[in-house]
Amino acid sequence: MELEEMKSLWEEMSSKIEKQSKITDSLILKMTNQNYRRKVNKLMVYEVIGALVCLLGLLFMAVNFYKLDTWYLQVCGLVSALILILLPVFSIKALCRMSRINISENNYQQTLKAYSKGKVQFLMVQKASFYAGAILLVSLLPVMGKLIAGHDFFKVSNIWLVYAISFPFFYYYAVWVSNNYTKSVLEAENMLKELAEVA
Amino acid sequence: MENKKEFVEIIKDNQALIYKVVKVYTDGKAEEQDLYQEIIYQLWKSFASFRNESKLTTWMYRIALNTAIVHLKKEQRKGSQVSIDEQVLNQPDTSDTLKEEQFALLYAQIRKLNSIDKAIVLLYLEGKTHQEISAITGFSTTNVATRLSRIKQKIIAQIK
Repeated sequence: MELEEMKSLWEEMSSKIEKQSKITDSLILKMTNQNYRRKVNKLMVYEVIGALVCLLGLLFMAVNFYKLDTWYLQVCGLVSALILILLPVFSIKALCRMSRINISENNYQQTLKAYSKGKVQFLMVQKASFYAGAILLVSLLPVMGKLIAGHDFFKVSNIWLVYAISFPFFYYYAVWVSNNYTKSVLEAENMLKELAEVA
Repeated sequence: MENKKEFVEIIKDNQALIYKVVKVYTDGKAEEQDLYQEIIYQLWKSFASFRNESKLTTWMYRIALNTAIVHLKKEQRKGSQVSIDEQVLNQPDTSDTLKEEQFALLYAQIRKLNSIDKAIVLLYLEGKTHQEISAITGFSTTNVATRLSRIKQKIIAQIK
């Protein structure tokens, strides 16, 4: 179907749609009254819950940090604390950027540009969060072992064996995650390139 | 209240516009309902700031298209909040099955285009001039003309 053919078919379809007046006043009013932002911000709610969990973990570690009596447990504690601070901050920041897009004032080009930029940033943060989360898992396990159970996992358990066995699984999962995110990031970046060409 | 009455009338008069934007940007009933509601919500939200500086339909297209980009992929939607009568989003009534297939094919072909081309081709099919397309999208009239000729080539390539 060529563009001219499409146009005549579109006109035919449009005239049929015009004749179908189906939406009711009450339905329109319902849609305007709906507290819709609540749904749109669902992602933000998850992020805030995640941030609170991180904060609780951070507080717990800060209060009990003196119990980490070896240098390697202290390093693990500091690494965990750093990730627990940075992870939610970057994630919420990226989401805020996406939700700040001004739909009523922007034109299509501006919206598309802002959205694509926000998407690239958000995907990068998500990808980084995945790797940071994996590091957190490794560093937090001995810290919590010490703080909750009072054991130094490096001495009393086969923690190195657990790390070694789980590494290949994590590696392949990480490659898969990386490929997926890279593809989405590339799509958004291509859109930005194309927008720069037409600007 | 007067404002709401006026808004309802505007939506009823231009529901075909919203319908077509929704059809071009979505592929699936749940998504359609979701976007339909979101567009009406966004139109209502910015209705007070609409100052008649641009044509009513220019404003409506702008909000509808912007909403389609921003809200569609923001998250995986799980159904709509207001239950929309199936009829509102159904294909136009036609007893001609071949026509129905052609309409479906038409939407499918437009959906294959990227976000820039999709908006330009939609507005072109709606009979908008290059100047009007430029006012809605923010692309220059020269760019609109260039993109349209490229889109023609893309569509031919899609068929092959």
